Amino acid sequence: MSPAAEARLLLLGWNFRVTESSVRDRIALSADEVSEALRSLLGKGIVSEGVIVSTCHRSEIYGLFSEGADAGDLVTRYVSEWRGLEPEALSRAGFRREGADAARHLFRVASGLDSMALGESEVLGQVRKALRIARESGATRAVLHRLFESAVAAGKRVRSETEIGRHPLSVVSIGFELATKIFGDLSRRTVLVLGAGETGSLFARQALDAGVRDLRIANRTPEKAEALASRVCGTAVAWEDIVRELASADVVVGTTASPRPVVRREDVENAMRQRRARPMFFLDLAVPADIEPSVRDVYNTFVYGVNDLETVAEANRRRRAREVPRAEEILEEDLSKFLAWMGNLSVVPTVIGLRGHLDRIRDEELARVPASDRERFAAFANSLASRLLHEPMRRLKSETDAGRRLDRVEAVRHLFRLDEDE
Amino acid sequence: MEWHALGWLAVALYVGAEALSILSLLKPGRGSSGAILRTSLGLVLLAAGLAIHFADLEITARALHSVPYRSFGGSLSLFGWMLGVSYLALLFRHRERAIGPFLIPFVTLFSAAGLLLPAHAAAPDAEMRGSLFALHVTFGILAYAAFTFSFVLSVLYLVQNRQIRRGRTGVLFARLPPLEVIGRMNRTSVTIGLAVLGASVVFGLLWANRVWTSMGDPKIEWALATLALYGFLLWMERRGWKGPRVAILSIVGYGLVLFSYTIVNMYLSRSHGFR
Repeated sequence: MSPAAEARLLLLGWNFRVTESSVRDRIALSADEVSEALRSLLGKGIVSEGVIVSTCHRSEIYGLFSEGADAGDLVTRYVSEWRGLEPEALSRAGFRREGADAARHLFRVASGLDSMALGESEVLGQVRKALRIARESGATRAVLHRLFESAVAAGKRVRSETEIGRHPLSVVSIGFELATKIFGDLSRRTVLVLGAGETGSLFARQALDAGVRDLRIANRTPEKAEALASRVCGTAVAWEDIVRELASADVVVGTTASPRPVVRREDVENAMRQRRARPMFFLDLAVPADIEPSVRDVYNTFVYGVNDLETVAEANRRRRAREVPRAEEILEEDLSKFLAWMGNLSVVPTVIGLRGHLDRIRDEELARVPASDRERFAAFANSLASRLLHEPMRRLKSETDAGRRLDRVEAVRHLFRLDEDE
Repeated sequence: MEWHALGWLAVALYVGAEALSILSLLKPGRGSSGAILRTSLGLVLLAAGLAIHFADLEITARALHSVPYRSFGGSLSLFGWMLGVSYLALLFRHRERAIGPFLIPFVTLFSAAGLLLPAHAAAPDAEMRGSLFALHVTFGILAYAAFTFSFVLSVLYLVQNRQIRRGRTGVLFARLPPLEVIGRMNRTSVTIGLAVLGASVVFGLLWANRVWTSMGDPKIEWALATLALYGFLLWMERRGWKGPRVAILSIVGYGLVLFSYTIVNMYLSRSHGFR
């Protein structure tokens, strides 16, 4: 009987690096569609395991297929039919990786090295979610489960052992970081947001996420302030009361479309007298500015405009980029462990490992036998071991379904603790 | 001269602890086994250094039949040791390791200087062996240790304040605590320093009242000036003097402390001179 073909990893992807957003948008899958696609790919026998990572920046299909099969073309054809795209155009718009390259790509994705904002952490949750959906759809078994778990672990390691995710890139996040370095815990601080438009809402929501409990919203149109305040568990403040509110506000965020500054120096000076010079943090996200420039000169105030924060963002981008070589070292370390594990899933090393395992047991037992009887017992033990191994090994080698064969190999390795022996 | 070897061994351990704390500052690697090992080892080195340093002080004290504060060297060594112990206590209280790299050099410097300068002094007079005198001097040195803390924290406050203002979000920015926390730690240091120095002055006056014929000594005046300056700092802070001004005044106060500890003791005071 000819040996069955080995199972191989396959990745077909369409991401922001190589695919136009119009094509990406058409390929992108919702959680339900991911489940449906996985069931379909497994049902048609195109892959034996599958996971789909689908975010706004990427749609990537990871599968396990038998060597020799044209799974890549079959997956492309499946997606093209489903999404109404030409197969050739779809192939040209995406990329394809196999084996170790496919695994490496996933490790890079999970660690944020392949993200648009280098080192961002959201993707780690998306990878975890992709695995969960695949598991719930019955589309993962030993290999892809292990691959995704390893990638998530590597992503976590990269984040904890390097600075790649530590320097914020967005203007609002940088503002939060600076404010935190002044006040420490922001949850007990008072934050006053001027303006209830798009930027004001965005900031207020992030403040809520950051744990700010005393969030005050002021807007020229009181209804808008009240609407936003109710959405973010905050308090609406009358526009006329802004000056009075300054004294109790630790953080003031300007987001209005006012043509003139809303916060004047003399108002801040008065507020500082009432606050007994406790620091005040001003984040001016408005154009033109909401905070009078000379407020910077008031003692113990910290004032930042959009340009200041963008300069910080640029510096942070450079800092993250400096961490890439170390992050890649970590990924390669973890990847090599995964690849070694996967390599052991081949039938031949498992047979050799199992034979070695039995030989060790045989030698240990023979050592207890008197030397005069050892030769006789050795012949018996060898014969017993060979007969015991013969049938399981034959079945293992003759299994034609790559996924099922990997499951069996994994079971044998687990039951006989072959990985620990090695 | 076994005690001398112990003293230098303690200094070597402080240097090791400092190297590791700098490494932890530059490469925190939160949660990684390397980072945990570095931090733990640094702590062990510091604690071991302090234990050995204590043994060194103990041997010196037995030889002198007195706590070794009557020579400048002995006093400095005790100063360094108390600073180290205070830092360790602060570390367990606040879990704030970021000031270690800036404070351990002072522990090392004072301890090494204490070893380089003569530590042996003439046998103390009978009246200098009482507990009142010992409390006066020990509290005085402890107060100086607290003010050293305040000085280091004030410098760090100004550094962090400058970084935040300029939007420099580099290594120091990330590692140093928020201004609010540094300010609070500084306030605690000054309050402790003030209380302990006040107690030291009271014990000193009680002792002097029994032994001296006249209370006129420049050291008393400088101690009172130090008390007044740090007291003014705390009072002004309560009245709204927050931020860098407090840090600057605290640094000025430490200048006063150093002047009182060195120049006044060595050249101006008749009764507090090192022998």
